[in-house]
Amino acid sequence: MTPFRRDTAACPVPEPLQGEARMALTDRHDDGGGTAARSADVLLARVARASAGRTAGILVCSAGAAAASLALPAVLGTTLDLLLDRAPGAGRMLAAAAALAAAEVVLSACTALLAGIVGARSTSRLRCGAVDGLLSTSPSEAARFSPGEVATRLSANAAEAGATPAAAAQVASAALAPVGALVALVLIDPWTALAFTAGLPLLVLLLRAFARRSTESVGRYLQVQASIASRLTDALGGARAIAASATVDAERDRVLRPLGALSTAGRGMWAVHGSAMARSGVLMPLLVTVVLAVGGLGLAAGRLSVGDLLAVSRYASLAAGLGAVAEPLGALVRGRTAARRVDALVRAPSLRYGTSELPPGGPGTLELRGVRVRRGQAQPLRGVDLRVPGGLTAAVVGRSGAGKSTLAEVAGRLADPDGGEALLDGVRLDRLAEAELRREVGYAFERPHLTGATVAEAVAAGARTASAEQVRSAARAAGADAFIRTLPQGYATPLDEAPLSGGELQRLGLARAFAHAGRLLVLDDATSSLDTATERQVDRALAHRVRSGTRLVVAHRLSSAARADLVVWLEEGRVRAVGPHEDLWHEPEYRAVFGRAEDAGTGPSHGSEGDDRHDPS
Amino acid sequence: MIRHDVRRRCAAAGNGGTPPGGHRYRGTVRRLLPYALRFFRRHKGALIGLAAWSLLESVQTFLVGFAVAWSLDRGFLAGRPAEGLAWLAVAAASVLLAGPVLRGVFRRLSGLVEPFRDGLVRRAADQALGRAVADPARAAEAERAAVSRLTRQTEIARDGFAGLVLTVRSFAFTAVGAVAGMAALAPELLPVVLPPMALGLLLFLLTLLPMAAAQRRYLDADEAFTDRSAALRTGLRDLVACGTTGTAGSGLHGLAAEAEAAGRSLARWTAVRTLALGAAGQLPVVALLAAVPWLLDRGVSAGALMGALTYLVQSLLPALRTMMTAVAAAGSRLVVVLERFVPPEGQEPDAPAPQGAGGQEDAAPVPADGGAPPAVLCRDLRVSYGAGTPPLLEGFDLAVAAGEHVAVVGPSGIGKSTLAHVLTGLHSPDHGDVLLSGAPVRGRASPPMARARVLLPQEGYVFAGTVRENLAQLAPEAGDGRISEAVAALRLGPLVERLGGLEADVDPAALSAGERQLLCLGRAHASPAPLLILDEATCHLDPDTEAHAEEALARREGTTLLVIAHRLSSALRADRIVVLDGTSTAVGTHRELLRTSPLYRDLAGYWEAPG
Repeated sequence: MTPFRRDTAACPVPEPLQGEARMALTDRHDDGGGTAARSADVLLARVARASAGRTAGILVCSAGAAAASLALPAVLGTTLDLLLDRAPGAGRMLAAAAALAAAEVVLSACTALLAGIVGARSTSRLRCGAVDGLLSTSPSEAARFSPGEVATRLSANAAEAGATPAAAAQVASAALAPVGALVALVLIDPWTALAFTAGLPLLVLLLRAFARRSTESVGRYLQVQASIASRLTDALGGARAIAASATVDAERDRVLRPLGALSTAGRGMWAVHGSAMARSGVLMPLLVTVVLAVGGLGLAAGRLSVGDLLAVSRYASLAAGLGAVAEPLGALVRGRTAARRVDALVRAPSLRYGTSELPPGGPGTLELRGVRVRRGQAQPLRGVDLRVPGGLTAAVVGRSGAGKSTLAEVAGRLADPDGGEALLDGVRLDRLAEAELRREVGYAFERPHLTGATVAEAVAAGARTASAEQVRSAARAAGADAFIRTLPQGYATPLDEAPLSGGELQRLGLARAFAHAGRLLVLDDATSSLDTATERQVDRALAHRVRSGTRLVVAHRLSSAARADLVVWLEEGRVRAVGPHEDLWHEPEYRAVFGRAEDAGTGPSHGSEGDDRHDPS
Repeated sequence: MIRHDVRRRCAAAGNGGTPPGGHRYRGTVRRLLPYALRFFRRHKGALIGLAAWSLLESVQTFLVGFAVAWSLDRGFLAGRPAEGLAWLAVAAASVLLAGPVLRGVFRRLSGLVEPFRDGLVRRAADQALGRAVADPARAAEAERAAVSRLTRQTEIARDGFAGLVLTVRSFAFTAVGAVAGMAALAPELLPVVLPPMALGLLLFLLTLLPMAAAQRRYLDADEAFTDRSAALRTGLRDLVACGTTGTAGSGLHGLAAEAEAAGRSLARWTAVRTLALGAAGQLPVVALLAAVPWLLDRGVSAGALMGALTYLVQSLLPALRTMMTAVAAAGSRLVVVLERFVPPEGQEPDAPAPQGAGGQEDAAPVPADGGAPPAVLCRDLRVSYGAGTPPLLEGFDLAVAAGEHVAVVGPSGIGKSTLAHVLTGLHSPDHGDVLLSGAPVRGRASPPMARARVLLPQEGYVFAGTVRENLAQLAPEAGDGRISEAVAALRLGPLVERLGGLEADVDPAALSAGERQLLCLGRAHASPAPLLILDEATCHLDPDTEAHAEEALARREGTTLLVIAHRLSSALRADRIVVLDGTSTAVGTHRELLRTSPLYRDLAGYWEAPG
């Protein structure tokens, strides 16, 4: 057994993911098929080659251990006979038996050591390959896999796949011992071999007749367990209310109320488990006893010696271990399936970067030419032509599903268009070097994901790491400085100890973008959770304190559109119109985008938000 | 956001890859010991029952070896094959006896394992709720995320515990049967067989602690890698956009390398364990053979030798092997998991810190003079997140008269919710006083305090129970009248009907956020508390429903209403409005504030944003 085969209990994957792990059997269509299987095998072969020497070592050691264990009963039997007869040469035979026993033990230990090391190496290689594959792909490609699925593929699946080289090297020797033992039985006394081969299926059948399968208690147990967990989750979600109403004790009792039912179901499970163990536990000793009886008759008839009887009983035990072949075989089968799932990450289509640089000092003119994007059946963009002159702020508006976020992705090359091209200052985005692209194009999102140990590190993270001074001034511009300073350790507060609301998270995301502002900044609904006073503050800072460049702002709020130099109005994946907000406002359908269809006839300054634009403040 | 919630363990595993030493592990075992002893004392009955059934296993072991020996000596070797077969039939029968015995063992086992699991679940719920309630703003979400992990760990502990009890017990009682059998066949067998066996066992025991440490390091490294890889996918968009995929990649490569190193060290110890197991298995057999001439001299028969070999090969060694596997695998996992359920050293065990009690002095407000004290009185409050951080509120004064309706507004993150926490005792001010109807708010919320005011946070807490239980949570003694009054006042009729009436069970997950908030508003209405504090408690309701709910609560008899406003319209309904602006505060009516507070004008000018 290798230390890397893990049952579900040992698998450190969050509970809800285990279902996905099980889905490994019903692979997605894109992972399936002969090519995927071949590609996964190629991957496994490559990984195995990297540990070729050790894998060969496993083959030799495990075969040697099997051979030793096969020879041992015969030698033991002969030794016993010699000793019983007080014949000369017994000492030498005994030494041989001891040497064989030692060889078996040492070779098994070597097999375990090498299998463990090869497993660890292969797993690590697979993991690194899959991590690199995932990191090189575009976020929209990666979105096919849920975070839990990625975790399962990278951890549990990679470990299973990593165990395949060692398992493959052990299949032959795992079969060697039981098959050899059966042959040995035939050689010593064919009747015992006959008794064994006839007895095995008979006994299995007999025992199966008594089998009462019941998975009912297991299902019930899981159900009650889930209900306790969800009660606890609910109560934790209401922690503030519970704390305020001082009802912790009552809530705990409520959470634990199903515990009695859990116990009942649990006892049922143990009973079922006990019956199964009782059945499987008697099979082998019973078989050995039957073989012993046949051997005993041989002994009485003078066909066999006492030593032969010893050998026969041990060979019967060895032969009964034929089922153990299933273990490396099973590991092999599971490993190949798992390798396919890992391979899908390794082979994820990658965003390739070019080597071009942008013309120095360019204004950040953004141009899209005939951009089309396909996502499965959907076509979020169906031919977009657009030019945003450098230094201007363009608002992208449209109903949900119009393609706003896809446009934002393409504009800064988070995804490549399926047709057409995107250019910044006249250079195709996909020809730009990665560092150049990410330095000059920044993003802020509706729900940013921060990385880094502390708040300051999270804001500083980028193609170049921002200085402490840049972090602070960006945080001030994003309206985040004040709340960061109220955190327990200010900027040095560990991220996971900072209680952040949605609005605060957004402001940190904005600060990160501001700290690295280049010639294009894409804000994808990045101020949606801010209250209007803060949004206005951010807006002013963006205009005066952050490096000026082109801004593409995906927005739902009327005020954002009203403040922009240019509005890009998307409809069903196409540009419906481009122009200043005032000009578009006359169109009832444009107003309908903001839920203001009934305002027809009034000027664009109507509505509390519109007021702001002309507010001299 | 990428949350490194295994940071502690990452740090332990990542710092140059130093594995946690065996001595640390031993300390954990020592810490767990009193709990284990107490548990076993409490379940003496189950233990005795288990021992009784296990004794039958000894008998069964004894019979098998003994029957094999006699089948030779009295049967096959004595020229009486029929008698030999008869003795083997006895052996077969006692093998079959193992079935019912094992069933009995499992029945008793569940009497031990299920209470053990119950205890863990109870402890887990206790700890999670305790931590969450002690610091709802920070801890609750983290605890929530940990629930699934908790369930999984409880199951690991349950399986590990059962496996240990089962295998250790099986080995012990098999050994008893085998030793008794050998003693009965020929006592001379014992000094030959037992010492090498003990030696093997000792070797194995010596590998136990380092093996457990290696296993723990492996599990930790694997968990760290798993957590980070899930975060990798969540954060990929941001990593690509920021151009930081390289950094993230090398971070994960580092974690994968640490997992590999942990796997190698585990492989080494697995090899050592295999050696120990082999020694324990093969040494006694070789020793027995080596001693055959000596034994024959003492009149030990060939049958007795075969019997002894049967005991060794067929009973003891398999039992030893399963025990060693279970101890090495499940044992260390069990200890690792149990450690998380036990408070760290130096902390009182079994003391869930009942901080909610001890609020007797808060109970009786003493009116200073004849007039009724204000419903809420804040004097010179200074509030911050902790020592050394700038204050959210400074020199804050506020008096709300009984029956008044006050709204609190301000930009997000300015400390509105923290103010609500301070008023309800969930957050202690750095200095200053809070008095509710003249009674000072000190320390944690207590039941008497809870009867004086209700806090409705943004997340409406609905629990699995009947609709009535949910509505009457804060007024357990409330009669039908009070409940139906609340239902009518807040127009909950259609919702209650859809849920199946007051006596129907609620599935909280099946409710929308707005429906949960509605039920909580009903709960507040039904409660006897005169002061209701709504902290954005209507944010998931549409404006009309929100307006009606607030009006209904304000109309409730003797009610003082403090609303932390989500929309400006909500503030417009109040008698007075409090504008929080960092450390300065403005109070007044809508009209007054439009004149005097620039921030209020800013907020009002923008507020009616669609969506």
